[in-house]
Amino acid sequence: MNDLLEVVNLTKNYHTKKGEIEAIKNINFKINEGEIISLVGPSGCGKSTLLSIIFGLDKDYKGKVIKKDNLKIAYMLQSDALLPWLTIYENAILGLKINKILTKENLDYVNYLFNFYNLSEFKENYPKNLSGGMKQRVALIRTLALKPDLLLLDEPFCALDQQSRLMISDDVYKIVKKEGKTVILVTHNIEEAVSFSDRVIVLSKRPSEVKNIVHIDFKNKSSIYERRKDSNYHQYFDKIWEDLEIT
Amino acid sequence: MGGFRNNLSIEQKKYLHDLKIDKIKVMLAQALLLIGFLVLWEVLVNKGVISAFIYSSPSRIIKTIIELIKNHNFFIHIYITLKEVFISFVLGIVLGFIIALILYEFKFLAKVIDPFLTMLNSLPKVALGPLIIIVCGANIKSVILMALLINLIVNIITIYNGFIGVDEYILKLFKTLGASKWQILTKLVIPSSYQTIIASFKLCTSLTLIGVIMGEFLVSKSGIGYLIVYGKQVFNLNYVMTGIILLGIISYILYKLIIILENKLLKHL
Ligand SMILES: Nc1ncnc2c1ncn2[C@@H]1O[C@H](COP(=O)(O)OP(=O)(O)OP(=O)(O)O)[C@@H](O)[C@H]1O
Ligand SMILES: [Mg+2]
Repeated sequence: MNDLLEVVNLTKNYHTKKGEIEAIKNINFKINEGEIISLVGPSGCGKSTLLSIIFGLDKDYKGKVIKKDNLKIAYMLQSDALLPWLTIYENAILGLKINKILTKENLDYVNYLFNFYNLSEFKENYPKNLSGGMKQRVALIRTLALKPDLLLLDEPFCALDQQSRLMISDDVYKIVKKEGKTVILVTHNIEEAVSFSDRVIVLSKRPSEVKNIVHIDFKNKSSIYERRKDSNYHQYFDKIWEDLEIT
Repeated sequence: MGGFRNNLSIEQKKYLHDLKIDKIKVMLAQALLLIGFLVLWEVLVNKGVISAFIYSSPSRIIKTIIELIKNHNFFIHIYITLKEVFISFVLGIVLGFIIALILYEFKFLAKVIDPFLTMLNSLPKVALGPLIIIVCGANIKSVILMALLINLIVNIITIYNGFIGVDEYILKLFKTLGASKWQILTKLVIPSSYQTIIASFKLCTSLTLIGVIMGEFLVSKSGIGYLIVYGKQVFNLNYVMTGIILLGIISYILYKLIIILENKLLKHL
């Protein structure tokens, strides 16, 4: 397997007038191509900060982030953040527009995703007329449209009710696996981490360090639902639960 | 727009019907109030309860208007005031927008001039009247300058606040999508300030009217403000009342125009 990304001795402190906040302390991990990684950890431990650094938005840190050459990364923020003055279709192609890559091929892909997520008939609607789950899907399409090799997802499902949460995470799981994308998913939800990922990185409370890395293996189960029914599911869940408790 | 039923149910029809009835009732009441006020005014003046000399009366105002039209200067006064309002309004918004943009791009400058803006904003601009007349002369330039002094600072402050009020989160989103500074400005900062900019239109309309009338008082050559000053000078208060009524009508129409514009531009927000 090939390394896609390596984080080496990463340390990050925020500087504010009131003082210095240690957010991340000496974190190390590697990600292989096609792997789905979950980051779990207590609220405020530095998960979003870590994604910002990996993406390259935040350049003020110590340590190294080594990326494969020409790695295309897309970052889906913690909330859907759709622009109210654009239709959902215009929202979905915003990234393509900004990067000036509105090619036929890319637009076809967006249309394919709209179909896949059953949003085609709502294309001309404005965000205020859609449910939370629909908006989340649009934000996801906006991120996927850039055809990244590595997807950074910051609690993409947290605004959703349990049912949509399962449905959408299953959709994402299938698309990601089908297209062989690599994913880093940040979540508070242990069930989600276990059912979604190949490895779960458990972070300690702030300043976050890697507490444990749990390998998940459900032997090629191809949907979230099947993975959740696997006999080992609860074992993984309990393991991560314990790791989080000790922190 | 999706999500609505196409064929109207009986309840929906009734709901729409009730809405319409309600609207008609309000309009009727407004018309009654207006007519009642005019009739009362006329009657009180005719019965000698209030002075016709000071308060004029609807019939006297109509006579004054006819007289003004006959003397060929009525429409010119209105035209001149409207022209001054239009020029000052557009200049105020355009300059306010540009200066706000400059301040947004150069935060250091914004911090430096902040206290001076605040000071200028609270300074009573009438006090500058004599200075303006000396610098610009007794002409339309003075009127427009006076109006600008009154509307510009407020425009700058409102629009600038709109710019810096852009959602931090969406700003971050644009960065994650790889937007350049220019793209952030044109695709995010300006569009997301539409609402504030329209709000500043409303404020600007009334401030511009105040400024223009003040300017016309000062310059005393033409326009509705001049009509009022002139009426006072020759003790014909019919002119004053006519001027006031005209201003009322003009501000109402301008306000309505802004509302129409607002509904057009902000349809989806
Ligand atoms: N811009 C900033 N300036 C100062 N401190 C910050 C800044 N951003 C985050 N922090 C602090 O750094 C710590 C980590 O923040 P971060 O948002 O990365 O946590 P998180 O794990 O994503 O939290 P959550 O689970 O609530 O999303 C927090 O204690 C936060 O208060
Ligand atoms: Mg976070």
